[in-house]
Amino acid sequence: MQEHHDDSDLLVILRHAPHGSSWLREGLDAALVAAAFGRRVSLLFMGEGVTALLRGQQLGPLGQKGTAATLEMLEMYDIETLLVEEQGLSRLGLSSDELMLEVECLSPSALARVLSGHRLVLTF
Amino acid sequence: MLLHVVNRSPATSRVYQQALAGMSPEDRLLLIEDGVQGALPQLVRYYAGLEGRLFALKEDLESRGLLGRCDASVQVVDVDGFVDLTEEAERTVSWY
Amino acid sequence: MRYAILLMGAPYSDQASHSALRFARALVARGHRLEAVFFYHDGVYNAARLAAPPQDEPHLVDAWAALANEHRVALQVCIAAALRRGLLDEREAVRHGKDGVSVEAPFELTGLGQLVDIGTRCDRLVTFGP
Repeated sequence: MQEHHDDSDLLVILRHAPHGSSWLREGLDAALVAAAFGRRVSLLFMGEGVTALLRGQQLGPLGQKGTAATLEMLEMYDIETLLVEEQGLSRLGLSSDELMLEVECLSPSALARVLSGHRLVLTF
Repeated sequence: MLLHVVNRSPATSRVYQQALAGMSPEDRLLLIEDGVQGALPQLVRYYAGLEGRLFALKEDLESRGLLGRCDASVQVVDVDGFVDLTEEAERTVSWY
Repeated sequence: MRYAILLMGAPYSDQASHSALRFARALVARGHRLEAVFFYHDGVYNAARLAAPPQDEPHLVDAWAALANEHRVALQVCIAAALRRGLLDEREAVRHGKDGVSVEAPFELTGLGQLVDIGTRCDRLVTFGP
């Protein structure tokens, strides 16, 4: 495991797709606020949550905002640890080079280590 | 050691897989709400390998009429036991 | 130990609120300090002042308020999640030109920064989701 995962303050686990529910947006909001408060934040896209990173997302019905624009701002908030569950991608037939941001893919065995390497874990 | 909490039945939800994926070999798993169905002998196989680290909440088993139907490998704890588990674990992670 | 609870399930829709309240009562009964309950996602409906459940069902909103008053537990409601769902305290009602008030003390509308704060300050944070 890489050094920068160790003892980070907060791990936010995002398990939902954009548009279908508010989970993804609300999880990202928590991450952004924590980062704005100076915490070191890692994001873990898990299960359906990996679809948040797909390129070419649009507004939903009635101009419903998605989350792609928020994801593009992550760097500005110094959220640089973006982790993706490898199995989440492969289950949907996706690969990491199709994603809008550079991510680190986690094998099943690495997932548990990431969870124990953070002082606080929030699941959305 | 972390405590993982699952409130969904493995018969209908894949949330249990996420919990298992996030678990280290020493972590514990507590089944609450509809998750207690996972303590039934027919479903406990989804949690193979967690012997001694698998718990189910007594009150939620009881209210569902499932208390007498738990697999012997599952440790039944009441809400005070739930508190104990959160004390003993460094952190609690919920999967719902 | 110092505890905090994060509740994200709506009352009466999911068991999460009942589970969280039961856990909260067990915590304080065992002498732990429950510093705050943070309500997020549909959990913010736990703060709905106008909730009127049938008399033979637990009144969750009142139960949270009683817990807060007896054990000095802060009831913190995410303001962004609350406003979207029509949950406004007096100040927000005025600010948004609304007649009614749907959130009152001891519930307080607050920012997500509070969640980050209690999450890192308390020894334990336990999440109850829907």
